[in-house]
Amino acid sequence: MELKKRVARLSLGAILILCLISVAQAQNFEVKTHTLKNGMKILVNEDPSIPNVAMYIFYRIGSRNERPGTTGISHFFEHMMFNGAKKYGPKQFDVTMEAAGGSNNAFTNNDVTVYQDWFPHSAIDLIFDLEADRIENLSFDPKMVASEREVVASERRTSVDSENSGLLNEQLWAAAFTAHPYHWPVVGWMVDIQNWKMDDLKHHFEMGYSPSNATMVVSGNVTADEIFKLAEKYIEPIPSHAPPPPVTTKEPEQMGERRVVVKKFAQLPLLMIGYHVPETASPDYYPLEVLQTILFAGESSRMYQRLVDKDQLALSVESEYQLSFDPTLFIINAQPKDGVSPDKVEKTVYEELDKAKTDFVTDNELQKAKNILLANFYRNMKTINGKASAIGSYEVFFGDYHRLFTAADEFNKVTKEDVRRVAQKYFSDKNRTVATLVPESADPKGGGNER
Amino acid sequence: MNVNRKIKPSFLTAILLGATLTSFASVPVSANDQLKLPPVKKVKLKNGMTLLLMERHGVPIVSFNVIVKAGSVADPVGKEGLAAITADMLKKGTKARTEDQISEQTDFIGGEVGFDAGGDFTRGAAEFLKKDIDKGLDLLSDVMINPTFPQDEVEKDKKQTIDQLKSAKDDASNVIGIYFDAFLYGDHPYARPVDGTETSIANITRDDILKFYESYYSPSNTILAVAGDINIADMENVLTSKFEPWSGGPSPKIELKDAPAVKGKRLLLVDKPDSTQTYFMIGNVGIARTNPDRVYINVVNTLFGGRFTSLLNSGLRINSGLTYGADSSFEQLRAAGPFAISSYTANESTEKAIDMALSILKDLHEKGITEQQLTSAKNYIKGQYPPRVETSDQLASLMTTLEYYGLDESDVNNLYAKIDSMTLADANRIIKQYFPTDDLVFVLIGKASEIQKIASKYAPQIKVKSISDPSFN
Repeated sequence: MELKKRVARLSLGAILILCLISVAQAQNFEVKTHTLKNGMKILVNEDPSIPNVAMYIFYRIGSRNERPGTTGISHFFEHMMFNGAKKYGPKQFDVTMEAAGGSNNAFTNNDVTVYQDWFPHSAIDLIFDLEADRIENLSFDPKMVASEREVVASERRTSVDSENSGLLNEQLWAAAFTAHPYHWPVVGWMVDIQNWKMDDLKHHFEMGYSPSNATMVVSGNVTADEIFKLAEKYIEPIPSHAPPPPVTTKEPEQMGERRVVVKKFAQLPLLMIGYHVPETASPDYYPLEVLQTILFAGESSRMYQRLVDKDQLALSVESEYQLSFDPTLFIINAQPKDGVSPDKVEKTVYEELDKAKTDFVTDNELQKAKNILLANFYRNMKTINGKASAIGSYEVFFGDYHRLFTAADEFNKVTKEDVRRVAQKYFSDKNRTVATLVPESADPKGGGNER
Repeated sequence: MNVNRKIKPSFLTAILLGATLTSFASVPVSANDQLKLPPVKKVKLKNGMTLLLMERHGVPIVSFNVIVKAGSVADPVGKEGLAAITADMLKKGTKARTEDQISEQTDFIGGEVGFDAGGDFTRGAAEFLKKDIDKGLDLLSDVMINPTFPQDEVEKDKKQTIDQLKSAKDDASNVIGIYFDAFLYGDHPYARPVDGTETSIANITRDDILKFYESYYSPSNTILAVAGDINIADMENVLTSKFEPWSGGPSPKIELKDAPAVKGKRLLLVDKPDSTQTYFMIGNVGIARTNPDRVYINVVNTLFGGRFTSLLNSGLRINSGLTYGADSSFEQLRAAGPFAISSYTANESTEKAIDMALSILKDLHEKGITEQQLTSAKNYIKGQYPPRVETSDQLASLMTTLEYYGLDESDVNNLYAKIDSMTLADANRIIKQYFPTDDLVFVLIGKASEIQKIASKYAPQIKVKSISDPSFN
């Protein structure tokens, strides 16, 4: 078994929805659309290159729609969507789908809950039947709720308690956001996971799962006509209702640096620096993506060159800049080397950011960033899964899937003046939150460290 | 941050290790039709290097995959990690380019070039846009043929590797497989941690790397495959002109025998005092990539621990909520690779989860499987297979892998027929023959002060070590 390889990279995360791709002279491919009478929009890309189909359903509901006391309920609810409805009872969703050759997954983030099915074309009718059943008639069996609560608790222990970067990331967001719901973690605080009531779940379903609050994307060995007909048969009869109430809270402007320290047993320290940046739909998205590419993409990037290669202060340095509905964070993650203080790493990161604020990036760097973004675009278009994800992400976060095909022009328009302007505007000390994990040695008595 | 319902599964990779490959013409076929690999052209260059070429049009991308037939099995004892460092160092300077020039030129064209050692072999992968193919191939051939292993870069890489090893231990899931292999395989080369240990990396010198490179990186020891938006005849000419001047070899053949299965029960407990969960693996020596039963084993393992509704995940997650995930896999290598059940659970449910995993294994033997389960597993493997061989990089990797293990297209082209031919009697034989019940090796990473007593119940003697100890065995 191998260790994860060290690289400076954009933190792409599990799914492409995290960091969007971009284009430049990218080829168009055809997307056909249809909106059902109940308001659900369907987007189809016909691609017969393999005999399979990728289906994504995006619901515009995530942890930003939650409240203190029931944090994490969007994610918990996502789990419940697999635990039985009217026609297909407990476990039958997965058992039936796998027996027909299909598989599935789902994920939740701050803004959306997304369900994914991957299946051979022969299973297409069944998949619609399964999806319609759980959207219309989900059951709330108390026994399933109790068991799933434990699964989610285990998930939290795995992704937060057992993973230092998960723990620190949670603390960073909690400090950077004081008013807006991005303050709490998607998986939820442990006490909240343990305390939701059945009524909370039912309320969440009513709030988030109207067909009009969802977008379906299908890519693969299908025809658009066949998908639209199936959707009309299975999904259209499901009544629509009110969407979630708008999230009106705005995070007040940050007036000075915030610092968080986490002390726990660890081999090495960690450093995370977060800057408030605007939502995806903002025009500054494109210059920020270009700047991110120049600073973090590849071993020739500025941050890798300085921190990993030349000064040898860090094992890795990465950035994270998610798609989002509301103003979010641009995060820099660094893993200091053994014996190097996080302070030294932090100071060096600022020196590199200052250069981007003071001087223009070179023409060569600007062109390189555009080339990398173009190549990444094609890489994401290699699979039907990648295409379904990209079409849906542009439709939901940019408001129109056509933006996938015009991103090319948007990136090409970015100038070095734009890049310097966004560096100056967002990478200021007043606008940042710094989180550091400081290793503690183990308690010899074996106590402590438990949360 | 996205929070997923399921672990990004290595599930499927494990299932299909025995059968990873194929591509399709752009003609839709139903899931039950046998998939045929598009034509592969195989060329042997005068210097002994093997080329494999395949056309795959769609996106304007070309993918390369390389196997050099030496991995950590060729590491000298005490210098574990040598194959891995050698692979890292290829990009750290050549006769024509400095490290900075290599990374700058690769990034400028949005390309990717990387080499990684595994157990059996070292694998390289590169990918470029079609329009940049000349520049890309220049880089790829340069790092393969002309590396110079600058002393300062060697020292830098060693330091980074040592810190990487330390950092990996902060997440038990990164390292439990390394402890498991080390404990299971004992003196066999598969016990060696591919990336070495903090101690062994410190022992490696530039001379060791140079010697390793000169011994094993030779044309006759190398397979290179290309797939993507190419014309085969043109690409063959280009590759011939780039790689035929490469001289060297022959390389020593690495002897490797199957490790015998461990008899009885043995347990290693790795103490990680901050743990709120216990990570565990349970298994024994499994099968090689060429095992004639591999497809049938994959079918049974799909049911046992290879998909979401598998017996293990149903028991430990779906029905009881003891964990976020439980699975099993057969890693298929040149010699018999490990078979292992893997999961994790809260400290206080450690005993319950391990007991349940063992009882599911016992039930598999005692109750067997049903016709309905068998059909479901067959459909699942066939239905999930096409996306495994969808892209040019997957196909290039498939070609080198088949060639390395001495297999051919029939491994793919007969896959569905082989799956369909399997009967319940076959399944029951596979269970008896390949799923151990009495002879088992356990590795646990967790908080010893809370779980040591429980651990002691699974083996007559247990070994305990600290996660801060540099060695894995």
